Amino acid sequence: MRIRLTSSVLGLFLALIVGSASAEVVVVVSAQNPTESLTRAQLTDIYLGRLNRFPSGESVTPIDQREGATAHRLFYRDYLGQTPAQIKAHWSKLIFTGRGQPPRSVADDSAMADTVAASPDALGYLDSTYLDSAEVGDRLRVVVIE
Amino acid sequence: MNNPDDKHGHGVSDDSAVVWRWLHRLVEPAFLFTVVALLVLAVIWGTTLNLVVMERETADRTAMALAADTADTYEAQVVRALREIDTTLKLVHYSLDDRPAQVVLEELRDLGMLPPELLFTVSVADSRGNVIASTPEASPSQRNVAEYDFFQRAHEEAGMVLGLPQRNQETGEWQLFFSRHARARDEGLAVIVAVSVQAGYFVSGYDSDVLGEDGVLALLGTDGIFRIKRTGDQLSVGTTVDYSAMVPASGAIGGPVAVKVNPWDETRRYTVTRELFEFPVAIVVGLSEAERLAEAEQSEQTYLWYATLASLLLLAILSLLGRLSWRLQRTQSRIMEERVDHARRVEYLAFHDNLTGLPNRAYFTRLLTQGMQHSRRYGKRQALLFLDLDRFKAINDSLGHDAGDDLLKEMGKRLSGAVRESDVVARLGGDEFVVLIPEVIDESQVTVVADKILAAVSLPFTLVGQEFRITVSIGIAMFPQDGEDEQTLMKHADVAMYHAKEQGKNNAQFYSTQLSTDSLERLALESSMRKALENREFRLYYQSKQDMLTGRVTGMEALLRWQHPDLGLIAPMQFIPLAEENGLIVPIGRWVFNTACRQNVEWQMQGFPPLSMAVNLSARQFLDEHLLGDIKTTLEETGMAPELLELEITESMMMLDMPRTVRILKDLKRMGVRIAIDDFGTGYSSLSKLKDFPLDTIKIDGSFIQDLVNSAEDRSLTEAIIELGKSLGLTVVAEGVESIEQADYLRVHSCDQFQGFYINMPMPATEFEMSMRDQFRRFEDSNPSE
Repeated sequence: MRIRLTSSVLGLFLALIVGSASAEVVVVVSAQNPTESLTRAQLTDIYLGRLNRFPSGESVTPIDQREGATAHRLFYRDYLGQTPAQIKAHWSKLIFTGRGQPPRSVADDSAMADTVAASPDALGYLDSTYLDSAEVGDRLRVVVIE
Repeated sequence: MNNPDDKHGHGVSDDSAVVWRWLHRLVEPAFLFTVVALLVLAVIWGTTLNLVVMERETADRTAMALAADTADTYEAQVVRALREIDTTLKLVHYSLDDRPAQVVLEELRDLGMLPPELLFTVSVADSRGNVIASTPEASPSQRNVAEYDFFQRAHEEAGMVLGLPQRNQETGEWQLFFSRHARARDEGLAVIVAVSVQAGYFVSGYDSDVLGEDGVLALLGTDGIFRIKRTGDQLSVGTTVDYSAMVPASGAIGGPVAVKVNPWDETRRYTVTRELFEFPVAIVVGLSEAERLAEAEQSEQTYLWYATLASLLLLAILSLLGRLSWRLQRTQSRIMEERVDHARRVEYLAFHDNLTGLPNRAYFTRLLTQGMQHSRRYGKRQALLFLDLDRFKAINDSLGHDAGDDLLKEMGKRLSGAVRESDVVARLGGDEFVVLIPEVIDESQVTVVADKILAAVSLPFTLVGQEFRITVSIGIAMFPQDGEDEQTLMKHADVAMYHAKEQGKNNAQFYSTQLSTDSLERLALESSMRKALENREFRLYYQSKQDMLTGRVTGMEALLRWQHPDLGLIAPMQFIPLAEENGLIVPIGRWVFNTACRQNVEWQMQGFPPLSMAVNLSARQFLDEHLLGDIKTTLEETGMAPELLELEITESMMMLDMPRTVRILKDLKRMGVRIAIDDFGTGYSSLSKLKDFPLDTIKIDGSFIQDLVNSAEDRSLTEAIIELGKSLGLTVVAEGVESIEQADYLRVHSCDQFQGFYINMPMPATEFEMSMRDQFRRFEDSNPSE
């Protein structure tokens, strides 16, 4: 028990270090979108098709990255706490029973940036390093997830 | 049944008896409780089982309906999903036109006309199986699909091909491929368009809220191969079943729900299988029977449990009630038994003597009456023996009633032992017993029984630590000659008994008419005896006693006579026993004392020398508690010198109760009165004990003296008695001396005094007085010196 606890604490710690050191995914909206923050629950609901409006009341279109992309995996892990397989099963059921369609997916961070920047109701995510490297700061706004 | 109706209608009364018996049994607690228990149990279990059946039926109907609903929904979902896929295949087919396939796919995707990439992969393969376009990109192991069945079959079949499940080598997921053939100008004649999707997609609608953990949702190809099958969270592909057995070929839309054992996992399910109208595939929906009925079974169990509890409670209550009622019943029956016992006991006491346990007078009367009826009917004779214990009153008076009771008990035993089983022994009261001998053929038979009784009674008794002998007198009356009714027979037996007493007791006498006459005399005697004292009919006769050597008169014996006005002079032995029995002996005795003493004093005052006066005491008198007082009073009243009074008691009286006799004698001695033993030699007294009695005189019984001259035996006895008397320092008197020979013999053998006819007869006072005067004169003449 003690060993397992210790190791999980250690793992979490390592993950934090690695996460902060290598890759961090941030949630973004178009610079024209006034949304500055979302709760984790709101974000989850939007990405799982259970909520289709921003807190402001404007409609939201979540944009996904392709399955297999690093950002995809990190996003679902860090913000929704779910694995890609779980997400796939979720949408599988919704599609089959005709109760929803998964977010449109784009190929990479660059496509994401373009898509989100072009649409005021879009919500997306991408690697923070990309945000820093590509001069897209004025087109996109990072949404704070509380 | 003692029913007067019996005579008239046997059948009717029998029936009503049966009905009555049944009704009676109905109200018996045991029966009643059992019936009630069975009824209530029947109701409880009937209701419970009914509820269980209803519960099960409800659950069954619900499950059927649910399975049908689920199948409807699932069918619709599958059909829609397959149509979407087919639509996509057709769209790609027609969009391909002459343009490069990859371009077409990407264009369609960007237009949002392809299914979500997350699940669906749309690809185009050329005729050699090489994937020439794919969105999203085909995984490396699937870049050539020539070996896949959907590819091969797509060339042959017109519609959409539903391929067998394939495992993606990269992801390990099972996939389903749907394909159609199409034409693409730049790629030659034919291309194959395919859509692949994760197999689990088709069963992702599995809702465990509805289907439980053991339900089933599946797509079954018409080839009998499961494309995908889900049970709980378990997915499986490729299982093969007999399609025709699984799917009813009815062609009816909306296949029925059937409960059947699913062959792939041997589980019973509410199963619906429906072949889809437009695709070569059937859906399978199954609800686990165990799961669906679990709740019902739970309820059933609850119901059964409650029913069991209720039953047990009921049984407990009823058995408690039953037990209580049983105890009540038992108490009641015990009370009844006690009552019956009591009644029996009362009856027994009413008909038995509680001292001896023998039948009492009432019962005996009944037995005798019955016996007489019986004897009369069959011409038999029977004997009635009337028994009376001799001297019982004396024993009862001297030893107390307890000893008397013991004696009677012992008597009862001995009598019962002496007769046959069929003979009846009863106690009529007091010391009166009767024996009834039924069926007597010869009177000698009766004599034998009487002798047996006499022998049995004469054996010694032990009472209050002492040995006693008692005798019985028996009177026998025969039925029918001695009396034809109970009263007469009893009376005559009684008469015979008195005769036996008169004959010296300890014997049995048959009744005869002569006895009856005697008995009448006796009755007259008894009644007149009561008046005799008042009428001064008793007389005292006197007989003198003389000194053996000098011939001088030493004293006299007073002898009682009854001068009866009709019967003349009656000797004591004729009325003393009667007086003993009726108790008149005590006042008579008192009169004797008084008269004798008065007479003695009178003679002395007339100048007679001091002469002793002997008076006989009867047994009853001797034991009478007033004896001492009476004697004392008499002595005082008459002025008689005590030493001149000599009381004579018989040897047998003395031996009756020795300690008491000694006590009485000592008291008498203390008063100065002399004591003589009368009739000595006739009793059974132990000579050695003689010295314990404070005696003055022994009187040899006349019977010895009578044969003295002829009988050597009597001579030696007489000599022995004289010798004994001398050695004890007693005066020895011979009675009944009748001849000079006897007198001489006695004189030779040193007998002190004698009395008897040789000297004089007993005579009345006046004659005796004259006789005495003559004698004194003669004596003085012959002995002038004195």
